[in-house]
Amino acid sequence: MSNKPNENSEVPSRRDFFKKAAVSVTALAGTSLFASGKDDHAIMHHPKWGQKLGDPVTKNRYGIPSAYEHNNIRRNTKLLASGNFQASIAVAPIHESEGIITPNGLFFSRSHGGTAHVDPNEYRLMINGLVDKEIVMTLDELKRYPSVTRTHFIECPANGGQEWRGPQFNSLQFAKGFMSSAEWTGVYIKTILEDLGVKKEALWMLAEGSDNSEMGRTVPMDKVWDDAMLVWGQNGEALRPEQGYPVRLLLPGWEGNLCVKWVKRLEFAAEPFYAKEETSKYTDLKPTGKAIQHFYANEVNSTVTHPSPEKPWAGQNLKKGDLVEIQGLAWSGMGTITGVDFSLDGGRTYKKASLKGLVLPKSWTRWSYMHKYDGKPLLLTTRAMDDAGYIQPTIDEETSIMGVEAVYHRNAVETWEVTKEGKVNHVQIRS
Amino acid sequence: MFKLDRKLAILAASATLLMATANAGSATVTSKYDFNGKAIVDGGVYYPEVNGKTGPYYLNTEVDKLSFKIGRPATKNEIAAWDKDVTPTQHPPKGSGTVEEGEELYEAQCVMCHGDFGSGGGGYPALSKGNAYDIQKSLTNQRYPDPEADGPQRVFGSYWPDASTMWWYIQSGMPHPNTKSLNDDETYALTAYMLYINELRVDGEVVEDEFTLDQDNFLKIEMPNKHGFEPVIDGPQGQENARKYFNNWKNFGTPKVKPSERCMKNCQKKSAKVVRIAEGGGITDFLPPISVVRDLPKKEGAFDPKASYGDNCAACHSGFLSPGSADWAGYTGKGMDKVLANAIKGTAGGMPAKGGNPDLTDKEIKMIIDFMVSGK
Repeated sequence: MSNKPNENSEVPSRRDFFKKAAVSVTALAGTSLFASGKDDHAIMHHPKWGQKLGDPVTKNRYGIPSAYEHNNIRRNTKLLASGNFQASIAVAPIHESEGIITPNGLFFSRSHGGTAHVDPNEYRLMINGLVDKEIVMTLDELKRYPSVTRTHFIECPANGGQEWRGPQFNSLQFAKGFMSSAEWTGVYIKTILEDLGVKKEALWMLAEGSDNSEMGRTVPMDKVWDDAMLVWGQNGEALRPEQGYPVRLLLPGWEGNLCVKWVKRLEFAAEPFYAKEETSKYTDLKPTGKAIQHFYANEVNSTVTHPSPEKPWAGQNLKKGDLVEIQGLAWSGMGTITGVDFSLDGGRTYKKASLKGLVLPKSWTRWSYMHKYDGKPLLLTTRAMDDAGYIQPTIDEETSIMGVEAVYHRNAVETWEVTKEGKVNHVQIRS
Repeated sequence: MFKLDRKLAILAASATLLMATANAGSATVTSKYDFNGKAIVDGGVYYPEVNGKTGPYYLNTEVDKLSFKIGRPATKNEIAAWDKDVTPTQHPPKGSGTVEEGEELYEAQCVMCHGDFGSGGGGYPALSKGNAYDIQKSLTNQRYPDPEADGPQRVFGSYWPDASTMWWYIQSGMPHPNTKSLNDDETYALTAYMLYINELRVDGEVVEDEFTLDQDNFLKIEMPNKHGFEPVIDGPQGQENARKYFNNWKNFGTPKVKPSERCMKNCQKKSAKVVRIAEGGGITDFLPPISVVRDLPKKEGAFDPKASYGDNCAACHSGFLSPGSADWAGYTGKGMDKVLANAIKGTAGGMPAKGGNPDLTDKEIKMIIDFMVSGK
């Protein structure tokens, strides 16, 4: 028995059809297959993958996405690099994201001295300062602590920070992709501290990375006694090097920069540390000339993900009266999303959107709004609320307090303009 | 001791439980921590342990009652090796360095990225914009509504609250491609040079080129923007100040509104209009260019020395010894073999072997070198 496919298994019309299809691929994409009354080539022939043997299970011992998904990738731009691509960021393709989890290979990547490749056998965690017992442990020892697993987003506080003075990115990936979400596994730091004993004077914790930049940040003790974690698991496997393998700090809901990667040391102290990224960067300069020095939580925020400038309605063969699901993400670092309002007129008038899927604290939350397409131009705006009582400001409301030079923590409502051709453009509604 | 406090506090806090509305379902949230009864430090909410759960997550509540005693005591030497932070209250170690020594180090190891006199360049941060006390006045500048207006200058001299951060930064994170390679005296010298180029005062005197910085006068550096930050985080009230600050939304601009009172109609100012990305403007140099097409990737091309230079070499060689730069003449004179050997093995001057990327083959390094020397 040969395993060669039967050459005669094709429907007779295949060749003729294929010739036509090959020259009119774009035309096909632009018109409805069902309207033509013609048989669909995709149905009327046996595709190669349905006849030839597929790959053996021995291929790709660590699985990779379909080759057709090669455009679903992190991207970067020279304007978001401090001179090189080591002190830089690659942003997540959230225009292609589904649900509330980012695949590990697409999780946004930001570092200050490049991705460190830490040998887990030489990994050590030191805990020192105002504790009764100053200790060191290996990775295996750290993992002996009882673990907890939590789903949280991590967001760079500069997400949207290039657009204080006006829209810059006609792209969802760049306008809002300085964030990603994962299910993290690790240990609450409070579980470790209850063992070590912390002195009463301790008000701050330094978390320090072992990478080239030795990134460090100051964390108030209340966050440590609340939900701060040292995590080693990301979506069911070890952290990726880009996320701090083998161990990073996770401060649910707080600035991604505070969630120190490749963490090697926690020090407890009575005074804050004034670390390198608590100066020109990661501080919010206000019009008064004063800057917010420690800014912790990423405030309530939301965006439309479907449609997006990358994946507009144009080319989707929408007819008047067709139903389209407009959906997006809402998130808050201060609590749980309680609702999302949706506007078709740039945030003048709002209606309630539906939340969908799991609604978790300090987590991405999906929302949905059913729209009857009518071909008219629209201004799609969303506004989220959380259980701490916060609601997203308008751009005018936010800039009236923060000015336009803050760089970080911009969470005013965002707007997509949908043209009558179905193109989607990033715009802002402001005075 | 802490555990007992915690249990008592959980009981006390249960009196202030709030039930989350809408979609949070049965999750219990509070606006105060159970462990100290205080408002949440970031202005948000807290999910106490109630009935074996925190928010929607079940917990193994046994954990609270157990001690794990994992790890071993850190030795004094180990702590000394890693605990190197320098802060406003934890001063730098004994040592000293002059502005002149600092300038020499700067010219050898820093100027290629940070530019002459810290002027910046190639995307790397500027370290000075001139007289720090004058430049500090720019911090109220706003580039709006006039986008051509001068913006605020956030450099070391004009903006940073403390010089301790600079000392610590230099020793732990600089020079960028070879960090933790400067000794204490060198770190003093480079910090002295930073004071010099920012025209900062130490103990009332402007730093001149014969100035020596040491452990004593380090504490007398006069940073103009020392009090330019809020909330005040120093001292025993530091965390309380942060708590108070973030529990007043007017400090950071995200309003607190009762859901029933939120705006549903006429929610934009009458004067609000649609602002679009300027024609031909915006940021578009996306790498790689955006595409959402589902097709098969093009076959991997041959090794691209220019792209590899960008990934591996441009960190240091975008200014000094950049592709096609005249600087190369001073190096190629000893022969291309010597240049290639330096690139492969690294140099004492700070060039890491293979630019820090051991995955590059010798042949690929040669292609990169040929590109960098010729610029083509």
